[in-house]
Amino acid sequence: MIRHWPLVLKNGLRNKRRTTLTVCSIAVSLCVLGVFLAIYHSFYFTDATPEQAFRLVTRNKVSLAQVMPTSYRQKIEQVSGVREVMVMQWYGGEYKDPKNMFARMAIEPARFFAMFPEIKLAEEQKLAFQRERSACLLGRELAEKFNLKVGDRVTLKGDIFPGTLEFTVRGVYDNTRRPADEMFFNIQYLYESLPQRRRDFAGTFAVLADSPDSVPRVAREIDALFRNSPVQTKTETEREFELSFISFLGNVKAFLLSVCGAVTFTILLVSANTMAMSVRERVKEVGILKTLGFTRGAIMGIILGEAALIALLGGILGWCLALLLTQGLRYAPVMIGEIKMLTLRPSVTVVLLAASLIIGIASALIPAWGASRTTIVDAMRHSG
Amino acid sequence: MPDPIIITRKLRREFIRDQFHVIALEDVDLEVQPAEFVALMGPSGSGKSTLLHLIAAMDRPTSGEIKALGTDLRALSDRQIARWRNQHIGFVFQSFNLIPVLTALENVELPLRLTKLSRKDRLEHARTALELVGLGDRVHHLPRQLSGGQEQRVAIARAIVTDPDIILADEPTGNLDAGSALEVLTLLSRLNKEFSKTVVLVTHDPHAAQFASHTRHLEKGQLLPNSVAV
Ligand SMILES: Nc1ncnc2c1ncn2[C@@H]1O[C@H](COP(=O)(O)OP(=O)(O)O)[C@@H](O)[C@H]1O
Ligand SMILES: [Mg+2]
Repeated sequence: MIRHWPLVLKNGLRNKRRTTLTVCSIAVSLCVLGVFLAIYHSFYFTDATPEQAFRLVTRNKVSLAQVMPTSYRQKIEQVSGVREVMVMQWYGGEYKDPKNMFARMAIEPARFFAMFPEIKLAEEQKLAFQRERSACLLGRELAEKFNLKVGDRVTLKGDIFPGTLEFTVRGVYDNTRRPADEMFFNIQYLYESLPQRRRDFAGTFAVLADSPDSVPRVAREIDALFRNSPVQTKTETEREFELSFISFLGNVKAFLLSVCGAVTFTILLVSANTMAMSVRERVKEVGILKTLGFTRGAIMGIILGEAALIALLGGILGWCLALLLTQGLRYAPVMIGEIKMLTLRPSVTVVLLAASLIIGIASALIPAWGASRTTIVDAMRHSG
Repeated sequence: MPDPIIITRKLRREFIRDQFHVIALEDVDLEVQPAEFVALMGPSGSGKSTLLHLIAAMDRPTSGEIKALGTDLRALSDRQIARWRNQHIGFVFQSFNLIPVLTALENVELPLRLTKLSRKDRLEHARTALELVGLGDRVHHLPRQLSGGQEQRVAIARAIVTDPDIILADEPTGNLDAGSALEVLTLLSRLNKEFSKTVVLVTHDPHAAQFASHTRHLEKGQLLPNSVAV
């Protein structure tokens, strides 16, 4: 087949429009496949970051929308291997426009930086944030997106919670592990905006363990603590917690896989049709090649080579498109960190290119086999 | 007399298509001597092409024997036959049958791709063959940029580039004007005389047959006896 490379190449370029269209349709499909594979990969094959490996999340067993009493903290702190416990509360709200989506989290500033060492900001900004009740921290991406600087005012209109909260930006942080696109503020400030009887709640507890090894045991022991309480808990690793967030969206795994399967199958049909067409047009040439002494194997090789070449070209182009798309998603208004951090890992690249090769070869297999088996006499009688 | 280069004995080829049963060749006994130039004549449908295909091992007989260059063609596998044809047979079709995406030179080089020759040698051989057919100045032309006569000469160059022993031409002048036809026939005659190639030429045209050293006639699948006058 390598010997016949020039013929393969020239055959591929014979009908430039058809080849271009085929390459493009394969590229678009493989781009979709690539993005979905990247999503799948980041959801299900990405390990916890080193910092995450130390952390757990405790939440209400019934649902995330249900809260727990803040008094649980004291009990959780008693579990051996627990180094730090912090209350976190998702604050929905709205910044200027409901379309401005980003995570707004109420946290405890005194415990926050020990809990999340991957969050970096200048020491004086840390202190300013901890000192001032109405201070808030913005991730750098977020600050840049809304053109906010230290000292600027930020107003959030509540939706889950009543009222409006006024903040002053006291720090802009970087995150060494994920996009810095969240807003953090002091949960006391939130409590104070609420009636006395509604203050004592925690959406989740972030729990820091003394070592990654004690994490599973800590999780079990925390949940055991509250097994007989009216409000039971569910404690998971932070990574698991993130994934459960994804599963909020439904059966994501099956969805992703079925999209990938459907895309692959469709493009297989499309390119099979194209290859069948282009081989049919060339039956006579196959007869000529055979007359000159080309064997069945060589004929198969030439046709399969052409299909593989076209598909691989589509695959490479699709990979480039997917790369652009995943980079673009960084700036998309979604709150799933995984989507923002999508990258085409080498394994996804390999799978993508292998898929394009397989699609190419599989789509041409039947026409190539048929052509290679046509006798010269039949091929030459073929009017075409 | 040397051994014949082509021998057929009771060669028979039937085609069964749907309910039709055609006997294309019936008990054909043919002998062609080395360096002979045989014209094969006969009405349309008399089995001329079928006979040529069998000699070129492009098709297999229903029954009977066929030997070319001392090889029993029935005994070869498909692979062996492909190789044998590449080495020993040059075939010229009525419709020139060049590969449209390849230049004249690349078309001629094509059969050499199956040999062990280096690229440089292949191109040199191909160029030589094109010069021999008088197209040394057209090597980089695509088939569609050539006239019919030139295309057929490229096809002849492709047929001879492997230096085959036998050249089989199936109505090679059928699609050509008189002038081009004459060029092609002269070329075949030269290949026969100067290079001692065995040539079997299928033709309708009695003028064409005059270039041959012998003429044989087929009728309804049967080869008429040698003695029949032209
Ligand atoms: N592949 C084939 N399938 C069916 N019938 C065929 C085939 N090839 C040739 N024939 C039949 O065999 C007969 C001889 O054909 P052919 O050798 O092409 O004749 P010629 O070349 O003398 O015109 C014709 O009747 C033709 O229809
Ligand atoms: Mg014929």
